[in-house]
Amino acid sequence: MNDNAHVSRQFDEDLEGLRTRVLQMGGLVEAQVLQAANAYLEADMALVTAVIETDGKVNEYEIEIDDACIHVIAKRQPAASDLRLIMSVSKIVTNLERAGDEAKKIAKGVRRINDRGQMAMVSNAANVGHLAKEAMVMLRRALDSFARVDAEEALAVIRDDAEIDREFKAIMRQLVTYMMEDPRTITCSLDVITIARAIERIGDHAKNIAEQVVYLVEGRDIRHPGKERGE
Amino acid sequence: MPSLNPAELSPQITMRALNFYYGQTHALKNINLDVYRNTVTAFIGPSGCGKSTLLRTINRMYDLYPGQRADGDLLIDGVNVLADDVDTIELRAKVGMVFQKPTPFPMTIYENIAFGVRMHEKLSRIEMDDRVEWALTKAALWDEVKDKLNRQGTSLSGGQQQRLCIARGVAVKPRVLLLDEPTSALDPISTMRIEELVNELKKEFTIVIVTHNMQQAARVSDFTAYMYLGELVEFGKTDDIFIKPQDKRTEDYITGRMG
Amino acid sequence: MNLVQRRKLINVIALGYSLAAIAFGLVWLIWILVMVFEKGVGAMTLNLFTEMTPPPGDVGGGLKNAIAGSALMVSLAMLIGTPVAVLAGIYLAEYGRRTTLGKVTRFLNDILLSAPSIVIGLFVYAIYVARVGEFSGMAGAVALALLVLPVVIRTTEDMLVLVPNTLREAAYALGAPQWKVIVMITLRAAKTGIVTGALLALARISGETAPLLFTALNNQFWSLDLGKPMSNLPMVIFQFAMSPYENWQELAWAGVFLITLGVLLLNIVARVLFRKSATQ
Repeated sequence: MNDNAHVSRQFDEDLEGLRTRVLQMGGLVEAQVLQAANAYLEADMALVTAVIETDGKVNEYEIEIDDACIHVIAKRQPAASDLRLIMSVSKIVTNLERAGDEAKKIAKGVRRINDRGQMAMVSNAANVGHLAKEAMVMLRRALDSFARVDAEEALAVIRDDAEIDREFKAIMRQLVTYMMEDPRTITCSLDVITIARAIERIGDHAKNIAEQVVYLVEGRDIRHPGKERGE
Repeated sequence: MPSLNPAELSPQITMRALNFYYGQTHALKNINLDVYRNTVTAFIGPSGCGKSTLLRTINRMYDLYPGQRADGDLLIDGVNVLADDVDTIELRAKVGMVFQKPTPFPMTIYENIAFGVRMHEKLSRIEMDDRVEWALTKAALWDEVKDKLNRQGTSLSGGQQQRLCIARGVAVKPRVLLLDEPTSALDPISTMRIEELVNELKKEFTIVIVTHNMQQAARVSDFTAYMYLGELVEFGKTDDIFIKPQDKRTEDYITGRMG
Repeated sequence: MNLVQRRKLINVIALGYSLAAIAFGLVWLIWILVMVFEKGVGAMTLNLFTEMTPPPGDVGGGLKNAIAGSALMVSLAMLIGTPVAVLAGIYLAEYGRRTTLGKVTRFLNDILLSAPSIVIGLFVYAIYVARVGEFSGMAGAVALALLVLPVVIRTTEDMLVLVPNTLREAAYALGAPQWKVIVMITLRAAKTGIVTGALLALARISGETAPLLFTALNNQFWSLDLGKPMSNLPMVIFQFAMSPYENWQELAWAGVFLITLGVLLLNIVARVLFRKSATQ
């Protein structure tokens, strides 16, 4: 990436402000995912409320950052690395917001299970908690790679997504087995499936973010198969 | 839009080990560059980087000034135009040029167009009328001036004058059109007209444009050459240059950074 | 007094001085014009154009021979001087801009430009009149032509240099040879400026007395023979104004008025032409 300063200091400040706000938003979403995971593991309804409340703030960040991106484009007509930064920021923000939504889904699932008094039944499924932690770590590393403009790290994150997908499938199989063995667990299991899918989606968003980082650094689009992939 | 894969394009202008000197000053250093047929190639770079010099080497404009000389190879359709025995008058019939400021000649609109044509061809009055209309149509000016061909060229607006100059260059039916910052003296709407025109003209001519306006280079050109201190730093497809340049100096320039 | 008031005061004082200076200059100019007009208009009669300069003691008379002589010599001078000067100006601006010959010519021309006209008169006397042994209209025309040269060379060169180089380059870029660029483009672009210069030269020589003193001298009679002394307005004015005869003095004023009117008209025409070229 380019460390030289722009002739226009205001431009530098605008871009730096963008980067900072993306990282702030990322920190917020990261905390949301952690809280959602802990809400699940510890049946903590206070955390559920916290996750849902944070969502509003995340949404505000998304709108604000997108707006800032449009302003930079309109005023500066960015090119090359600046243009790639703006484009990737805009997409990273979308992915972060969706990851936040998924965290909210997890929290709501936890609340539904809790409302039925079934929390004791699910907290045994420790794999889901593990999966959630893993997704959170992935998200954190994706954001780190953005902060450090590190394509290597981003490529590692992309590779790790396959691991999460694998674990998610294992959990699915496990839950299907439960439901077949004991139909009384179906309601509860469906909620857990929703939660697990949300976690898996967070992993996907983290991967998308990492792909944007690769685009930002190297200028190549690795999003879709058929092209060169980071796997 | 035709493919921009260099393998499928044929070079019209080929520069190899091209050097240029203003007296003792070495202004262009070992330039190797291909300009492809029916494409628009933009030369960009900071003031004094040699982009205008390179443009003026193509039609040997430097011949007008003592102490300026070029060596190396500059081939147009395989002919080295730097050779001493090249007839510059013939060369300039093949390579048209439009300048930064509109330069209508002090004569009527019609005569402005006919002036260059008469230099190279003997046309009857009717043929000349047709040629004038053809050139003005190509330059998207015909509708605006068809009723006042006998007015002075200087009576047109700045943007129209520049299109008149383009028509004048086109009228000679050159193979290459050189545009030296053609819109730097024009307002935004006239600028857009000229850019639109460039896009049309490349169907029939090979166009080389020097511009200070990087967005303009990004908009109108297929290939971009970034020059710095007399050297060709980077040459490539415009899309690549403006999204992911290979050289740090190109990156710094097009993103407006201090290198 | 604060700074602003101080500045305003200084401004008012400076403006006052400037206006006073303008007034001082204008007073004399207007005085001259009014006087010439007063005395001249009175003397303006049709006889002026139909009768010869009168011999001493005679009444009435006109300026017919002087007007004709002046017109002949001045037009001849322009005819000789302008083409040579325009060609020289073209050389200086287009071919010899950086050459040594060009630089030397330019320098010499500047000297000629500021040479007193009496020097020119004496020069033509020495090389022409003294050899031929007779004052003549031709010698007068040659002396005036020498005065036309530097003025027109200078204005031609200046006007051509003013033509933007990009215009030349644009013509060359179309494949035009140099002579065509000069004839079709630069001369055309500088046309009005060059004509203006010629008109100013015409205005200058039409009032010159000193160069004619040693060359055309004067002639009391009607003569269009270029080999003989020729009557002309400036000399007649010079002679008649200092004479004791009242009708001579009146004729001198009429001559002054005619010349002033002519120069004024030429200046106005030149100015109009120049403005036209400037707005193009």
